Amino acid sequence: MNAEFQRNVWIELTPRRLILMVVLLTLAFFASAIAGGSEYDLASTARLLFYAIVVVWGSRNAALAVVGEIRDRTWDMQLLSSITPGAMTWGKLFGSTVYNWFGGAICLAVLEVQRATHGGIATALIDLVYFVAVGVISQAAAFLASLIAVRRRQSHSRLDIFVYQTIGLVAGVAVYTIWGLVDPANALLLHKTADDAVIWWGRAIDRRGFLLLSLAIFTAWTLLGCYREMRLELKMKNGTLVWLLWLVFIGIYVAGFDVWLSTDKTVAGWDAGSLRLALAGATFTVLTYLMVFLEPKDRVHFRWLGSQISSGRVGAFLGGLQAWMMSYIAAIVCTGVLLYWLHQSRPDLVDQLALIGAASGFLTRDVLIFVFMRSLPGRRRGDFAALGILFALYVLAPAIINGLGLQNLLMLFYPYPTSPVWMGPVVAWAEGIAMATLAFGQIALSRKPTTA
Amino acid sequence: MIEVTDLVYEYPTVRALNGVSLRVAPQTITALVGPNGAGKTTLLRCLAALDMPYSGQVTVDGLDTAVSPREIHARLGYLPDFYGLYDELSVRRCLTYAARAHGLTADKVAAAVDTAAARVGLSDRLETPAGELSRGLRQRLAIGQTIVHEPRVLLLDEPAAGLDPQARRDLSALLVSLKDAGMTLVVSSHILAELEDYCSEMIIIEGGRIAGGKAVKVRDVERPRYILEIATARSDLRDFLSARAGIDVIEVDEHHALFTFTRNPQQRSKLIRDLVTAGFEVSSFGESTRALEDTYFAQVGKQ
Repeated sequence: MNAEFQRNVWIELTPRRLILMVVLLTLAFFASAIAGGSEYDLASTARLLFYAIVVVWGSRNAALAVVGEIRDRTWDMQLLSSITPGAMTWGKLFGSTVYNWFGGAICLAVLEVQRATHGGIATALIDLVYFVAVGVISQAAAFLASLIAVRRRQSHSRLDIFVYQTIGLVAGVAVYTIWGLVDPANALLLHKTADDAVIWWGRAIDRRGFLLLSLAIFTAWTLLGCYREMRLELKMKNGTLVWLLWLVFIGIYVAGFDVWLSTDKTVAGWDAGSLRLALAGATFTVLTYLMVFLEPKDRVHFRWLGSQISSGRVGAFLGGLQAWMMSYIAAIVCTGVLLYWLHQSRPDLVDQLALIGAASGFLTRDVLIFVFMRSLPGRRRGDFAALGILFALYVLAPAIINGLGLQNLLMLFYPYPTSPVWMGPVVAWAEGIAMATLAFGQIALSRKPTTA
Repeated sequence: MIEVTDLVYEYPTVRALNGVSLRVAPQTITALVGPNGAGKTTLLRCLAALDMPYSGQVTVDGLDTAVSPREIHARLGYLPDFYGLYDELSVRRCLTYAARAHGLTADKVAAAVDTAAARVGLSDRLETPAGELSRGLRQRLAIGQTIVHEPRVLLLDEPAAGLDPQARRDLSALLVSLKDAGMTLVVSSHILAELEDYCSEMIIIEGGRIAGGKAVKVRDVERPRYILEIATARSDLRDFLSARAGIDVIEVDEHHALFTFTRNPQQRSKLIRDLVTAGFEVSSFGESTRALEDTYFAQVGKQ
């Protein structure tokens, strides 16, 4: 047995804890049967308990798998082991949640008996796949988020763990929603009518097969992400290729849903190519915000990147790029191509061109706010401070400006139509450049040649 | 066994190691000493391939930490200054996990656990949960976990912190036995007295640099350090000692002298006789038990 998994089994599955789980679940089912009086109520209780134990609690335990080791000062010993990244990944992911899966298995047994009795063996098996998938994906997403963030080495607070758990829960809800769309009996999302086909890259594809395949692929990406983050934790080098492949994959995947925007008035008149570029660019932008929040923003690493590029070591520089940097570059490149494309095909859409240009400037500003806030001395929680600044820039300040009737000033905070049209992007990029000056200055300022 | 060349390590606001170069010979116990915040722990973490340097190179057993960190992890044991244990697990399970995590095959784990437990004196507590051990016993268990796979290199950061005198003596004996078994040890501390018993070399780190530029020998089995005290001041004490073959004077004033000399009893006896014959009122002559401290302050004083 995997050493890490076995250690978790020793800690998690003690006889006392096993008995406690069995007794509590038995009491819960007994109470449900008495109160409701039907096996459907029993199944509902089992489903609810499964979500609570495996998805909600399991995501938390997965988020704590490595964070807890760092907090309890046992992580160094594990780093110095001979356990491979793959073994460490599954040993931690399934080891830290093995008690949750024990409880979940009891719930599933109750559910499966009910489903097999009333829907047949095939329905029961499909249900089993769903419940295992929702559990694994939510836990893996929380685990992945925690692995990305622990590289900052300041990610041990309850708030941090809650953030990682929430990411797992969001992934779980996404699986729940997707499954609801493909569930043949519509048992999971009642009253929802599922279409037979999904339009992707202009082709009609069987919805059920498409969504199930998507689920499998995203699960594989999530687990691959966990593995690669574990490699980094174990001091191995990753390179940039896999993240670039992920960007290519997710860009192509999301761009295929252009038909969803075809009826949107804000992009009326855009051709399919423009819509697809916009979708890909928006995806890269979301990834940039997510990764710049989660990843470490280490001044020493920035300086090291600077030294590599200044000494002409382009390969080392590219190999040292972080995921948020590559996502940002992809977003800017995609936006540039979109602007060129739209300018060629619809030069009359000058207002929208200006808004897109301003959006890329504000993205630059926002990313550099994160970098700057983390570069300030003693800003251990600079990421949350940066989030607060963005909230002020996008919500509070515009609300005040609106209240004062000064709508012309909204262009200072987010993409907003201006007259003349060029003013919006110029202001946005000026803010981006100003933030770059501040951030790079802070990175350079904070360097001291000798110890304190 | 360990070679460090021009090592630079930076924290966001400070350069913790600034061009450190050093060499640690195999099967030695090297003391890594220096004031708090000097960079000892950072250097140990770089040696353990746990932190990657900004620039420079670290090789352990011929492997570069930047190229083969996992191979190095497999060959060394590292006990950080602040460590944790799995309190819920018994001593046996803690050691079993450490052995398995270091890749020992199932047929070798039980023997390795018994050997490690015997070395650290925990054989009679194998079924005790780690959380119920005293501080000294927890320290022993942590060291047991660190050596269970018989690492070639052992890095210990403040291993005697918080131990009582008996436990410190036991630790000294253990470290010497590990060295005799073939391991290379680097032991960090800012308490010189606790290193005195077992270290043969010393690296003084101060302000992110190696004081004196290299490791210094603090214990020479063949030529120990001696302290001589005379009752009446004599300004010619230095000249007298320097003129004699086989004596290397380290420090001297009108009342005291610190020097290295052969361990040979006949020659030592002759030296004392000659001193008395020359009119020196010898009030004390003996092997220095503060070799490390003497060397430390001699080096730091040069800075």
